[in-house]
Amino acid sequence: MSLERKDDHDHKAWMKERDLTPVESIYLSVLVWFDKRLRIVDYLELLEDLYYKVNMQMPKSHTEQYNLDNKFWYWYPLYALGSFSTIAYIVAAISGALLGFYYAPAAAAADGTPSVAYQQISLIMTDLNMGFFLRSLHRWSAQVMVAAVFLHMLRVYFTGAYKEPRELNWIIGIVLISLTMVFGYTGYLLPWDQLAFWAGQIGVEMSLSIPLIGEWVAQLLFGGFTLTQATLQRMYLLHVFLLPFVVTTLIAVHIGIVWMQGIAEPH
Amino acid sequence: MTEDTDTTDAEEPTEDVAADGGPAGEASGTPSELRSDGGEETATDGAGPGIVPPDDETPAWSERKQRSQGLSRLTYEYFERARREDQDLRQESSYVERDVLGFPAWPHEMIRNLAITSFFVGMIILLSATLPPHIGPPANSGSTPAIILPDWYLYWSFGLLKLAPLNPELSLLGGQKLMADRTFGVLANLVVVGAVAIVPFLNKGAARRPVEQPFWAGVGFGGVVFAFTISAYSVNNLIPMEPTLQFDLAFLLPVLAACIAYSVLKSMREGYMFDLNRRYYRLRPPK
Ligand code: HEM
Repeated sequence: MSLERKDDHDHKAWMKERDLTPVESIYLSVLVWFDKRLRIVDYLELLEDLYYKVNMQMPKSHTEQYNLDNKFWYWYPLYALGSFSTIAYIVAAISGALLGFYYAPAAAAADGTPSVAYQQISLIMTDLNMGFFLRSLHRWSAQVMVAAVFLHMLRVYFTGAYKEPRELNWIIGIVLISLTMVFGYTGYLLPWDQLAFWAGQIGVEMSLSIPLIGEWVAQLLFGGFTLTQATLQRMYLLHVFLLPFVVTTLIAVHIGIVWMQGIAEPH
Repeated sequence: MTEDTDTTDAEEPTEDVAADGGPAGEASGTPSELRSDGGEETATDGAGPGIVPPDDETPAWSERKQRSQGLSRLTYEYFERARREDQDLRQESSYVERDVLGFPAWPHEMIRNLAITSFFVGMIILLSATLPPHIGPPANSGSTPAIILPDWYLYWSFGLLKLAPLNPELSLLGGQKLMADRTFGVLANLVVVGAVAIVPFLNKGAARRPVEQPFWAGVGFGGVVFAFTISAYSVNNLIPMEPTLQFDLAFLLPVLAACIAYSVLKSMREGYMFDLNRRYYRLRPPK
């Protein structure tokens, strides 16, 4: 008697008798391999269950429901602005990660000589293949994201989509737009050129002018009352570590809430 | 879980088990499937039915409710009420369509959004290929540049920092200002953001379209114009115009714009609402 079990669970024999195409059989064997170790099927089942609980049936689209004959197609780009912010954010994240391979937030002198940070940006722009384009892509996707977020907010305002069940999402949106601008501001300082330096100066002065806790805020965010190496390092950490975590989480929550509540009707 | 979560169960007084915290399932399950120490052998090597159905052990909805006290009890009771309310609403509704507050984000909306946005991602790539940014001279604390600017999206905030002329001088303090001009500017930023944040708590109701609420549309339009004028004011050293005049315009233009938007929408309102009623409210009469 063979020790190998031959029963309903003999997936290999089952696959053999099915006469599968190579793609199908590779897919199935990978799935089975993982499923044996991780019980993927259980989780897929859970997901499927969730899906059908959420959408009992394929919902009618807005145009179907109101028999609009696609009359308002020109509104749809406005309703895509939130998704567009998300996609622009993803593009910025990817290009930013690539830029991060070459950038170093180091030696922020402010005496008119190029610092390491400045030199690295120059290197990216002049010596690196596609580097100029990469920096350009990062810059433009960031700018476009901010613009899209502004416009998204306007569309939410003018379509009254912030009303009753959606106040929370509006508040999260305010936090998101603020953080998006902080993202832009911290990134603006990283090249450590004249514009960056003097924009940083404004930032320090703004923090210092907060009553009572101003000096503490300036110390915390800018590492002192004048712009130094500490400033650049803090901006870098905010830009590539802290903000990405917070903003990504908030976007996920924001879209999760939209998912649960649905898009405010009507279009 | 399937039958346990049914709210009507919780109402039945027959299930008065387990108030003492004893094993919850004993009242309901048949003896043979209750315990694994009975006739059936439990195997853990995957050969037999080794998995015990969870509903033996899991306390039912009503039992959990009975056991809990304090805040968790309140939560259970509220859930029950909310579910009953939903059910009542659904039953008394005479509409053919369910009275939806929103359209599902998936699939129609998201798929359409992805299609539209992928086009705009192409535009980003085109832009960055054609208009790459440049880098200025290295930082130099010794030479202040003539033009100090943040990115364009912060101009509005930068403009609000220059509101010194509005900072009130208190005669009580002998004509002195209560706070430094720059503190006033930072405060103005907070006020603007705060004002936007509380909009949902000021404007309530079911209206969605600008024509339905000309006032709020006017406020919004004025706000947009103010964002532009205050941004323009922040770069007033680049604009060949008297700064005081520009300062006045920064506040007058938004008000003007708001009034115009208001009156235009107000006069459009009747005809538009007629159309609207015909198209939408036949399907979903307003409450
Ligand atoms: C990083 C920035 C943001 C991202 C990625 C984002 C993303 C999204 C997405 C994908 C949606 C789905 C509907 C649509 O695309 O229009 C949405 C809806 C919404 N967003 Fe945002 N959003 C952002 C910022 C904001 C801001 C600044 C506000 C307002 C202050 C806001 C308020 C809302 C509200 C109230 C909804 C629900 C609208 C509806 O149900 O029709 N969001 N957001």
